[in-house]
Amino acid sequence: MKAKPAAAPRAPRARVRTTSIAAFVVLAALVPTTASASGTQEIEAELPYVCTLPSGPLPATVRLSADFPGRAAAGEAFTPSDVTTTVELPAQAVADLTARGAAEVRAATRLAVGVAQNSATATATWRGSAEPDALPASGPLTLIARGDVPSVAGRGDGDLTFSAGALAIDLALGAADPATADPGSLTVDCALAEDAPEQGLLATVPVGTGEPAPSGSPSSPGPVETSGAPDDAQQDRPGDREPERQSDRSPKVLENTPGAAADRDEVPPCRYDEQHPPTDVSLNAYVTGYANVKKMKGAAYLPPSCVLIEQGLPAPGPADPEYLIFDTVSYGNFHYREREQTPPFEATFLSFDFAPVKATMVLEQTGPLRIDSRMKMRLSDFTTITDTYVRAPLIVRVLDLEVNGTRLEVGSQCRTETSLTSEDPDPANFPGDHLVLYGRGEQIIGLPATGYLLLSGGVLSGETAIPAFTGCGTDGEDLDRLLTASVSGPGNHIKQVQGQTCAIAAPVFPSPENEGQCTEDLQPYEIPVAER
Amino acid sequence: MKKSIRRSALVVCAAASALGLAAVPSSAVPSTVWTVSPSPAAFKAVNVGNIVLTATIPMTCTTSTAAGTMASTTGNPGDVADITTMNFGSSTSPCTSVLGNVTTTSVTPWDVVALDYTASTGVTKGYVGNVKANVTAGACKFTVTGKASGTYTNSTGILAINSTSGELTVTNPVNCGAVVTTATKPTFKGNYAVTVASTGAIPTIVGSNP
Repeated sequence: MKAKPAAAPRAPRARVRTTSIAAFVVLAALVPTTASASGTQEIEAELPYVCTLPSGPLPATVRLSADFPGRAAAGEAFTPSDVTTTVELPAQAVADLTARGAAEVRAATRLAVGVAQNSATATATWRGSAEPDALPASGPLTLIARGDVPSVAGRGDGDLTFSAGALAIDLALGAADPATADPGSLTVDCALAEDAPEQGLLATVPVGTGEPAPSGSPSSPGPVETSGAPDDAQQDRPGDREPERQSDRSPKVLENTPGAAADRDEVPPCRYDEQHPPTDVSLNAYVTGYANVKKMKGAAYLPPSCVLIEQGLPAPGPADPEYLIFDTVSYGNFHYREREQTPPFEATFLSFDFAPVKATMVLEQTGPLRIDSRMKMRLSDFTTITDTYVRAPLIVRVLDLEVNGTRLEVGSQCRTETSLTSEDPDPANFPGDHLVLYGRGEQIIGLPATGYLLLSGGVLSGETAIPAFTGCGTDGEDLDRLLTASVSGPGNHIKQVQGQTCAIAAPVFPSPENEGQCTEDLQPYEIPVAER
Repeated sequence: MKKSIRRSALVVCAAASALGLAAVPSSAVPSTVWTVSPSPAAFKAVNVGNIVLTATIPMTCTTSTAAGTMASTTGNPGDVADITTMNFGSSTSPCTSVLGNVTTTSVTPWDVVALDYTASTGVTKGYVGNVKANVTAGACKFTVTGKASGTYTNSTGILAINSTSGELTVTNPVNCGAVVTTATKPTFKGNYAVTVASTGAIPTIVGSNP
């Protein structure tokens, strides 16, 4: 099989960006939403694969194209963009599918991409979906899938490499005449051929090249920067804004980034205890992610936080001629040292003429988290969708504040006046101030479920307004205005990743047959990794 | 149409239709002597295409394996094989549904029972019997028992399971709310490629009436 060199970067294409408003002090707890523009490498790779079809293993060709940054700073998250996966299956594969009565195919791809930096490795899944297409009468079958892929950050210096690994192709098959044939669906597993050049190497991104990004370096907005918010116009320039690259509501799965997966020793315990005895519907899970502070053009990193959940029982939803509907209401609480709050987290921003501001905060509940899930199964084709809204009354409490290296006494009562607020899709039934996060899970019959589901986790996202601060400062020094002026305001995007839950009364431990859900001491087995 | 009270029945019927029930060939005849080749022998089976289980809502397993022993036998129905290991999902590819990941623990042995044989096609019709599996999705737990109709084709080695509504039943549903109740009629559909464990060859089943 003919194979081009795996990674053949074309001439770097410098992205012309002129914005230079924000620069960030990068600490462990803060990842800037901007990426230094150091050129883009456009990758096109053609790789030989072996795919297992019903008739046996068949050779296939997989072509990958994507844009990677030419360079990245340590700790800087970036997202490969314009990712296209093209799979060419030989004519025999078409015969296999035709033999099942299929006339049309709708494909989704899951490519395992090995990411390595020095000795740290992780695997990201690049997902793509293709438009439904008729099977060709003759010749090979070409599937072209596109989709968003997870972002990656190298924690230290050194080349970050991306290599293509196992590929799974989910095929939903359509019959020429549904009345007489039901070709169903299948997942085709493909392995990189042994003769693949450079073991499937796609790209190498140097990280930490010794050139610190100057404060005025060109930058591009991050993937979770929101656009069109009406506030703080004086800090925005047109070049700052770009449509979101990723839909708030698109189904996503958890992904690891190298060096970013937290060790169990680094996360707070997440256990039921005497003060919080479990019931037979008790679950626990970790959640982590980023919350943008729009005025600061930065993002605060919420470290893995424990949530204890009481799983609700699905009840019949409203009658609908086209759908079978079930509604489930579950409740949860953050759990940190017997308090209903997150662990403390630090965020550092540059403000006030580039004076670094470092704040240590917690999110503190003023009431239970309410989780509403509606599952809808379309009776015509059994496609099922679960929409989940998490409503969380959470104030931001500031524990510590440093401006330009000087610690300011915030006192013990420094917090937002009210909960973080969001626009609620159902304000009549859910009055009051609370944050709303949304996630969607979906399953086409015969194919794996994707997206957010309360039990298995996934991405929840939303937008919030940060209220004014109150009670900040001691000895007559009022810090309320400083914090309110620099932080409070609308249009702050939040993206949280929830991990797989552990069901205390029906724990699933890791085994060759089962993906682990619980540790032996009934903590969540999965520690999710924040996504940008 | 009385939608609200007939929805469950509608779903079950629609599911059965969507899953495509295997028609019994007109030349299929009940047999009393079942010749399995090789016999006795250990076999293994791996899914071909995804396995779809339903319990009101669908669940998909991209990985499923089985293993056991097979032997010639007499009688109708004829127990031609015992399934001693039956796995749905794996550590890297759990079964999924819109409730969340689904864990299925099979209580074996299950039986492969032969009923009719069509000499012209080499197809045996029968069912997988003594099915028992404990299913969990979060706090929701239930047990599925019963049988699942299917066919075995000598030329391909494919055990095609196509259970019909009512063959499998739910017992002991706990914390599943209205989604899974004792009235739920689960289904099991999927194809398995069967091979002789020691040789990798495709085993055959032939029915006759001496």
